[in-house]
Amino acid sequence: MPRPSGAPYAPFILVFFLFACLSVQSQVKDFSPAAQDDPFLTSLSEKYLRQYKENLDRLPSKNKKDLVEAYQHRWENIKEKFDKKEIYTSKAAQGYLDRLAGAIRQANPSLANVTLSCYFSRSDIPNASYIGEGIILFNMGLFERLDNESQAVFVLCHEMAHFLLRHSENSINQYVASINSEEVQAELRRIQRSEYQKHAQVQSLVKGLTFDSRRHSRDHEAQADSMAVQLMRNTRFALSGALSTLALLDVIDVDTLNTAVCLPAMFNATEYPFRKKWVARNEGLLGGHTEMRDTAMADSLKTHPDCQKRTALLVNLMKGWSQPGAVKYALDSANFASLKGIFRYETIEYAFLADNYTRSLFLTLELLQAKPGDPYLVAQIGRLFNGMYAAQKGHTLSKVTDLPSPGYPANYNLLLQFIQHLYLEDISSINYYYLKQHHPQMDGYSPFKNAFEQSEKLMKN
Amino acid sequence: MSHNRKIFFLSLLTAAFGLMSAATSAQSKLSIDKVYSAYLRNSGTISNQGQIKGYFFLYQSDKIDKHTNEYTLQILDENLNKVRSIKFQDSKKLNLLESSYNGNSLSFLFKNEDEKTLDMKIYDMDGKLKNTYSRGYDKKTDALMKQYETMHTDEGMNKNVFDIGNQGYVSVLPMRDGKQRTYEVDYYSSEAKKQWTYVPSDDAEKYAFAEYLGATDSLIILEVLKKNHALSGNVTTHLVGINFVTKKKQFDIDYAADNYKLMPTYVAPLEGTGNVLVIGPYYDKDDNVGKDFSKGLAIYEMTTAGKFVNKTYNSWTEDFSKYLATNRKGKIDDVGFLYIHKVIRTPDHKMFIVGEGYKRQANAGGIALSVLAGGNVGVTKIVVTDMVMMEFDAKYKVKAATIYDKTNNTAMAGVASDYNSQHTLAIYLKMIGAFDYDFTTGEADNSNFAVCYSDYERSSDYKGQTFNAIRYNGSKFTTDKIPLKSKASTLKVFPAKAGSVMILEYFKKDKRLDFRLEKLG
Repeated sequence: MPRPSGAPYAPFILVFFLFACLSVQSQVKDFSPAAQDDPFLTSLSEKYLRQYKENLDRLPSKNKKDLVEAYQHRWENIKEKFDKKEIYTSKAAQGYLDRLAGAIRQANPSLANVTLSCYFSRSDIPNASYIGEGIILFNMGLFERLDNESQAVFVLCHEMAHFLLRHSENSINQYVASINSEEVQAELRRIQRSEYQKHAQVQSLVKGLTFDSRRHSRDHEAQADSMAVQLMRNTRFALSGALSTLALLDVIDVDTLNTAVCLPAMFNATEYPFRKKWVARNEGLLGGHTEMRDTAMADSLKTHPDCQKRTALLVNLMKGWSQPGAVKYALDSANFASLKGIFRYETIEYAFLADNYTRSLFLTLELLQAKPGDPYLVAQIGRLFNGMYAAQKGHTLSKVTDLPSPGYPANYNLLLQFIQHLYLEDISSINYYYLKQHHPQMDGYSPFKNAFEQSEKLMKN
Repeated sequence: MSHNRKIFFLSLLTAAFGLMSAATSAQSKLSIDKVYSAYLRNSGTISNQGQIKGYFFLYQSDKIDKHTNEYTLQILDENLNKVRSIKFQDSKKLNLLESSYNGNSLSFLFKNEDEKTLDMKIYDMDGKLKNTYSRGYDKKTDALMKQYETMHTDEGMNKNVFDIGNQGYVSVLPMRDGKQRTYEVDYYSSEAKKQWTYVPSDDAEKYAFAEYLGATDSLIILEVLKKNHALSGNVTTHLVGINFVTKKKQFDIDYAADNYKLMPTYVAPLEGTGNVLVIGPYYDKDDNVGKDFSKGLAIYEMTTAGKFVNKTYNSWTEDFSKYLATNRKGKIDDVGFLYIHKVIRTPDHKMFIVGEGYKRQANAGGIALSVLAGGNVGVTKIVVTDMVMMEFDAKYKVKAATIYDKTNNTAMAGVASDYNSQHTLAIYLKMIGAFDYDFTTGEADNSNFAVCYSDYERSSDYKGQTFNAIRYNGSKFTTDKIPLKSKASTLKVFPAKAGSVMILEYFKKDKRLDFRLEKLG
């Protein structure tokens, strides 16, 4: 799901001078993606593979095959994070994250001996997760939306709580135990023997298991929140960050880029004027594409459902708590702000590398509204359109773009509709005339020059 | 990251379990997927005015009792999003023939072999059943219907159920009564519970075959071929208009008073005039359309009362020969005769007609066998040749023609190919699906369209089936090609929303179907 643009972050000029003395990349204006440390990723992946195999050996013999299969699913997900280079290897960013996690550990002696590692994920999805094998991923898409360090600390504490409470392992054990229980097996045998209405019977059985599973999942979030504030309470980071994070998560899927205004404004060249039909909704079933009518369903599909209920529970829990001397920034506010700025670019870059061109385009357009004429962003538009041209020509566009769907916010859907309406000649012309506005001023910037030259070639096709 | 939508047959069931699939740890252990599975019975496209608006998948989801099954009708929109899932119980012997969409309702024509009924079910957009219309069919009709069902139509395009705007749907059904072949037209209202059947009672002929050509806001227009008895070669061609407001036949044109006979293959309302455009090959007045060679292509303008107000003829020998090397029989060098697949009119009043060549060739193997065996072995074969795109001006005169090469494809060989006429052969080739033309996809106003066909390529780079498109972007034509070899066990291309195709890949080992939409370039 595309991330909406967040609250305006610290004015760029102000933080620029602070950046100069910091170890992280100092000039977002001339952004270039951090070089990925592939040997480091490989060694990490191998380390976790060994750990995963050792853990498999320690599984109980009862229902072992099913347990192994479930852990295998979990491992494949972890492996994918390394294989697809989702984990961010910038030493400066990793150093900052280690220091944040270290501050939590230091304040909570119970965490001193646990094997737990936190990494930044280059995903723009506003989320963080404990993915197993002692790995917490903090998505850049969430980090760059946060307002202060205390919110980042709450997010880390929440994921640490999932780890400490063994939620993932408990879910696997519980599922395997349920499906292998005498009760469920007897029911399955009975259904297998019956000639008629198997579906209804299976559905009834599945419904029971599903209800349990969902209830536990929601309980897990509330439990993790409760433990997170307990961990956070011992630190110097303000507990108010927990409540403000949940408030932020509740609305984090709302997109704010008005594509109906942005697209015609950006891609209306005199030589190739914007066409209204590019953003017209197709008259398909239910008027172009399906819409989410069920509000309960819409909430459950949010990246973070039930935030208001979780907030109420925390407010109740923290009644009467005091935290003298707690602050929103207890570590490094300049570094925090710097990383937020960089991450907006890194998510654009990673969405492109992960073959999700429409997400990358949405993020690029969104940031361009705040930074018109930014060389990286202008060149990125060129790369994306050139990439979409090649994909459409090779009949693989669907592999690098999303299709309109009721699960997406309206503005992102409009962008998807726009891409769906374009033919090859539209893609090449829109791109060429857009880039031409910045030629020759940006020719000194090689990503721009490459993108422009490529678009010129495509125009001649 | 792969963004193509995947539909697994068990997705309805297993979705609730998320990542964790049920598995067995020992022989005695059971998993959900070993206890229950759903079967896909039918699938197809949902169209509206010739545009693809979605897809349907009919699953047999349960057995209710000895005679009854539970079915799940899953409806996807044009972007492959699940729109609705409709559950219902019906006979074990149920087939979903076709579906259509008219902007405010969805219609599904089922064939119930237990009850011997054709059931038209009309649903509103919330998936609620609005009306069910049932009509019986008998054994003899069923045999004819089965034959009709197996006849080839352009891939994924409707052949039986058509939407007629907001008012409802129409279906044209072949009938047999004793030795007499005829047809009926069923009208189904989507607004209110209203259905009626048009039976052509005034036709004295014993054999009548009707094909739906199109509709206006009040007329259903059919091409009807008639003859007096089964063996008669004297086929007459009629343009029949049925008024679905008055429920009566409005006109039946047999061209008896004309100099030429028209064999209409396309009709469409002419915007701004209230008239209808009728296009097809034409013949001399005394010609037998079942045997003789057509003279060319005729384009008529007709009022809704059935009166022709303009007639334009493009003859093979004079008009087409300016752009294609054509002999007096209308045969084009290397291409052969032309079968007309599609007529496309653009918003700037250009008209394009898509044809495909076919010709009779000496069959070397057949000749040798004939000589050796002295028996009844065909010495000729029929080959399907190239695609031809013809352009017409605002006065309906041909102004350009382009041949698009493709590999010649042997369509039939045998005695039948030695004796049948040009026109009979074309009808037969169409019926058995021997032509390579697949379908045309494009914007609703045809400002941008792609004519799609299959081919077989033998080159140093690639050897195998290809899916091809000739695309018009409003000013010029370009071509596109999709090689059909892939890692999938089966790869098929179906029509999709404007300018796109749906690529379906089936991976046998994984029991997985992948669907994705791709734009034609």
